[in-house]
Amino acid sequence: MLSIKGLNKKYGRFQAVSDLNLEIAEGEIFGFVGPNGAGKTTTMKIMCGLLKATSGEISLDGVDVIKHSKEIKEKIGYMPDFFGVYDDLKVSEYLEFYASIYNIKGPDRKKITDDLLELVDLSGKRETYVDSLSRGMKQRLCLARSLVHNPRLLVLDEPASGMDPRARIEMKEILRNLKDMGKTIIISSHILPELSELCTGIGIIDKGRMVASGSVDEIMQRVYSKKVIKLKVRDRLDDAVLILKEYPFIEKLVSDDNNIKASFDGGDEEMSRVLSALVNGGIPVVSFAQLNGNLEDVFMKVTKGDDRQ
Amino acid sequence: MNINPVLLKELKVRMRGWKAAGIIAAYLLILSLVALFIMYNAFMNPYSSTIDPQVSIGAYTGLAIIQFILIMFIVPALTAGAISGEREKQTLDLVLCTRLRPISIITGKLFASTSQTLLLIIASLPLFSMVFMFGGISIKEILQLFGFYIVTAVAVGCIGIFYSACLRRTTAATVLTYGTVAFLAFGTIFIGVFYVDILYKANYKDFLPIFYANPIVGFSSLLAGQFGYYRGGMGILPGLFLSGNTAKSIDPWLGNVIFDIVFSAVLLVLSAIRINPVRRGIFSFFTLRKRAKKA
Repeated sequence: MLSIKGLNKKYGRFQAVSDLNLEIAEGEIFGFVGPNGAGKTTTMKIMCGLLKATSGEISLDGVDVIKHSKEIKEKIGYMPDFFGVYDDLKVSEYLEFYASIYNIKGPDRKKITDDLLELVDLSGKRETYVDSLSRGMKQRLCLARSLVHNPRLLVLDEPASGMDPRARIEMKEILRNLKDMGKTIIISSHILPELSELCTGIGIIDKGRMVASGSVDEIMQRVYSKKVIKLKVRDRLDDAVLILKEYPFIEKLVSDDNNIKASFDGGDEEMSRVLSALVNGGIPVVSFAQLNGNLEDVFMKVTKGDDRQ
Repeated sequence: MNINPVLLKELKVRMRGWKAAGIIAAYLLILSLVALFIMYNAFMNPYSSTIDPQVSIGAYTGLAIIQFILIMFIVPALTAGAISGEREKQTLDLVLCTRLRPISIITGKLFASTSQTLLLIIASLPLFSMVFMFGGISIKEILQLFGFYIVTAVAVGCIGIFYSACLRRTTAATVLTYGTVAFLAFGTIFIGVFYVDILYKANYKDFLPIFYANPIVGFSSLLAGQFGYYRGGMGILPGLFLSGNTAKSIDPWLGNVIFDIVFSAVLLVLSAIRINPVRRGIFSFFTLRKRAKKA
């Protein structure tokens, strides 16, 4: 659906995005992950025709985004990371204003406004002035605004930034609804664990380069070529460590209290052999599991920290 | 009919609350005080027992001048924040990423602030109609004057919008708008006078074109014409006349109106280009042609 080829963006000498390539399929929820200043917002703005690329091509359904920006803008809904709202405008008027831009008139306009307010759970705030809404509500309203013209592609830049945990969960719920409605969504966030549940694919961007992209599982596997197992014993920790060290596929071992973490280079069969050896050796094993690396660890590993100025 | 959505929203927001009513009240108060002052002086003259027909001309001129000055001061304040204010409030991107064309955003903003000025001008009509009591001024003259006001207000509004589109800060845009209006009103006179003085001494007999850009010259020319003062071209300074002094030249007020219209159109287009995020550079047309030739 969306295809980015060799995208470059320079601000003077600063290379904000360099040679970025990306393909996003219809119905996908693509998480765009990267430290601050990595080029996420720049890339998203170029997608929406709000910034001119230095070079490269972006096309939506094969149509060039820059050359046909007016048609493209009908298909894309954009929610920026920082945005303002007009004072002296009520919630319903705010949405009606954007609906009128897309030539939506009369009863349709009212219906769309009502439906969107219900979707983002702001039906009770119709007559409230926009500037008196809380931050989370404003963000939800802005999301509703980006949906006014029923776009196929949604570009959401940090939609959950600055939200309290409850508001974040609500936002996630709305995104899940949108996913069910068949929208293609590109979402950038620094709240990685939440993204991993929601996204069908992620791309990690660092210093303007796409350092890894693919499905969440693929990226996990690529980064964690070795598994980690974690086990807990009631006592006899030292004996357990001795048994584990007998196996060549157990490489590193860290233990503290009654917990042991070991990096493990083998399959399910090797894992079961280790477990039965421990149990047969009379070790009181409380738990034994393969550790799932989370996206946050992946992110830290791939981007090597946020040490830019 | 499709009304520009930006215009509609702006009007709704601008007319909401006490601010709009407050501006109209303050504006009419100033004009009324001026009218009262003129009336008081005319009627309370102890040396005259009859009403001088010059009263209506005096009252009309007085009100016309005050209204003209007020427009020059109010319009920059209403327009200089139009685009930069959206940028400061971070709402500009939200409008730019819709299907709305940049020129529609610019014209919507311009018409919204012009309508507000128009409202002030129309609200002052009853005050102006006071001069009908004494005769000497007809509706035609008032309509001509109000037409001139509107063209001037739009031109000043376009200057405000242009700076607002170019600069990030509303304060800077406001300062530059007032500066440019001051330059048109006074700077052009200095330049014209020095130019004529240095190159021609006092022998310059034509109308110096730079004075067509001057709103004060245009306004004075309009009033002088309405009172039938055009005899002899009304030379004020070398190169500056209040009427078309030769067969070839047009009346300065008409020249000023034409200048204002062209100037406004140019500024509007430039503003629209300025806010378009994916605009092509001014020279890209030429580079494209070069590339095409190479290929």
